[in-house]
Amino acid sequence: MPASLTDSRLAIVSGKGGVGKTTVAAALAVAAANVGKRVLLVEVEQREAIAPLFGERAIGYEERRLAPNITGLSVIPDDALVEYLYLFYGIRRVGKVLRGTKAIDFATNVAPGLRDILLIGKVKEAERRRQQGSYVYDLIVLDAPPTGRLPRFLDAPRAVVELVNSGPIRQQAQGVLDMVTDPKRCRVVLVTLPEDMPVRETVEAADALAKMNVNVGPIVVNAVLPQVFPASKLRTLAKDATGPLAADAEAASIRLPEEAMNGLARVTALHARKTLNQREATSELERETSIPSLHLPYVFSSRMGREELERLAAELAEQGAIT
Amino acid sequence: MSELAELLAQRHVLVCVGPGGVGKTTAAAALAVRAADEGRRVIVLTIDPARRLAQSLGLDTLDNTPRLIPAKAFPGRKPKGELWGMMLDMKRTFDEMILDMTSPERAQKIYANPFYQHISSTLAGTQEYMAMEKLWELHEEGRWELIVLDTPPTRSALDFLDAPKKVTDFLEGKFLRLLLWPYLQAGKTYLKAVSFGAKAFLRVATKITGSELLEDVANFFLAFEGMYDTFKERSKRVYELLAARRTSFIVVATPQEAALREARYFVQRLAAEKIALGGVVMNRTHDVPAVAGLEDPRSLADRARAAGDGALLAPALELYGSWREVSVREDAAIASSLGDLQTVPVWRVPDLAEDVHDVAALRRVGEALLGPLPGARSRTETA
Repeated sequence: MPASLTDSRLAIVSGKGGVGKTTVAAALAVAAANVGKRVLLVEVEQREAIAPLFGERAIGYEERRLAPNITGLSVIPDDALVEYLYLFYGIRRVGKVLRGTKAIDFATNVAPGLRDILLIGKVKEAERRRQQGSYVYDLIVLDAPPTGRLPRFLDAPRAVVELVNSGPIRQQAQGVLDMVTDPKRCRVVLVTLPEDMPVRETVEAADALAKMNVNVGPIVVNAVLPQVFPASKLRTLAKDATGPLAADAEAASIRLPEEAMNGLARVTALHARKTLNQREATSELERETSIPSLHLPYVFSSRMGREELERLAAELAEQGAIT
Repeated sequence: MSELAELLAQRHVLVCVGPGGVGKTTAAAALAVRAADEGRRVIVLTIDPARRLAQSLGLDTLDNTPRLIPAKAFPGRKPKGELWGMMLDMKRTFDEMILDMTSPERAQKIYANPFYQHISSTLAGTQEYMAMEKLWELHEEGRWELIVLDTPPTRSALDFLDAPKKVTDFLEGKFLRLLLWPYLQAGKTYLKAVSFGAKAFLRVATKITGSELLEDVANFFLAFEGMYDTFKERSKRVYELLAARRTSFIVVATPQEAALREARYFVQRLAAEKIALGGVVMNRTHDVPAVAGLEDPRSLADRARAAGDGALLAPALELYGSWREVSVREDAAIASSLGDLQTVPVWRVPDLAEDVHDVAALRRVGEALLGPLPGARSRTETA
């Protein structure tokens, strides 16, 4: 059964730092947009990491078109608070007066969980938004905080409910809680590398999120190296690839300088070792969790752009992740 | 002696900074292991809640107290110096700092305040600030020749250096105290005196959060009375330590665009703050040099395929081509993001196929950075 990324309208994409979660979130958005879905791609940590992937300038707190069918949004807590005050209390003037003062700073940085509530609250607003009877966005992809911070981020509504005994924010918190714990509306997509430590952290995060009644899956295993050598040869190549390569070269009557053969052997052995480690980490992931996974190929590039995203998106579509 | 070797031999504090996921913890631990191998008494202070360093050093727990890493964690050769490790417990550090600044009764009152419980564990910047506080305490203890500080995975490079100011500003709370005046001065006629903004704030804040929270906040500030100056004093000292001659920052990055942007930003920021930058540790580089005979690996691969080789040579040639391109692009990316900045040494750690989670692997990282340990080459090979 293919693991669909689009069964729920909100996909929260997280992972250990450095695993490529922003890239995967963007690739998911592209894949869904390619089949005609209207996608909102959201970031909440003001890293402005999304726009450069699409060759666009920083987004900010405005929903702006990044690509066909893809709208980008960077949720900024201060702006979210001002908007919240207006939407829920009709307070417009105060919002304006308070903007840029330390009061806003206090509210968004200090009041327990309020910052996170505002961030997910904005996502919830977009998820519920309708125009002429139908939802404005078919899919919302949230480039979420890394797994280390994710449980706290998603648990903020509960914390607010506990700390704040009265006031409408309780209601707002409850609304957010309802969304993140409803498998039909929301799922967390965990991105990992096929390496020991990221896999461990992914398994731990999946457990923690499941305890919070959050729907987790699929797991995206990112940067999987291409299997270019026969699996049976990997161990031999990992030890020393010089002999096998020399034998092949001779059979093909290709004569290369010794230095070139050594260069090839180094690259081959490293690749074989990495492939073996990746396979081990991948099977550990499969042993430790029953959540279905998708595999994305390693991109031989030091920069990610539109072209790379399209390749990854095609891969997601091919694995049945977009329905 | 390389620049990095000099830093390891002479500095008293090394601070590893960089965005999440670039291998800061590994770099910090590898440098600490190397310094211990070279004979220094060193402690590595890590903050990471995933306890990766603990795993790295084969220890089950690293808590808020310094622990000597046992000799058995070092395979083969034992360190000439001593390696200590410590995992920061943010909340406990905050608690201890408060106890250090006030009477036990008042400290208890503060601990019991729900608002304090919140800020001591979740206020943005607290973790960074506590890391610096701990750094200072370790420095004061005077037991270590070198302290290597691993820093929290900050959202952006900015967060680390700005954290103490953010936290002390907050604790000083001039503005908040003004806003919370009614709660602090219960029973008096005050509202006339406060500004429209403050009144509006109170009205809105009460509406949103309920009045209990505001009362907790007010009580917190009452309990904190008189401690702000001490706080400020302490954070000033820490800044002085960070800017001291015997302290160097090491920026950790990977050769990906986003990480390089952060690294560049951090290098500039340190220069602006007049804080010494030791250099940049560039993790997970793919260094595939140009080789005579492999100028056009893809045509060679086609030839090999046509000749019906044994399924290894053609893919090996293509792989070489792909990794060579990555290598060239990485070099270009590093040069374009750091090349124009004045004399920033960059030390590379090539992408190792294996995860780094023990001393043997940390030593290999150290060798990648600094070359073989003098006088220990033969034994290292077997590690």
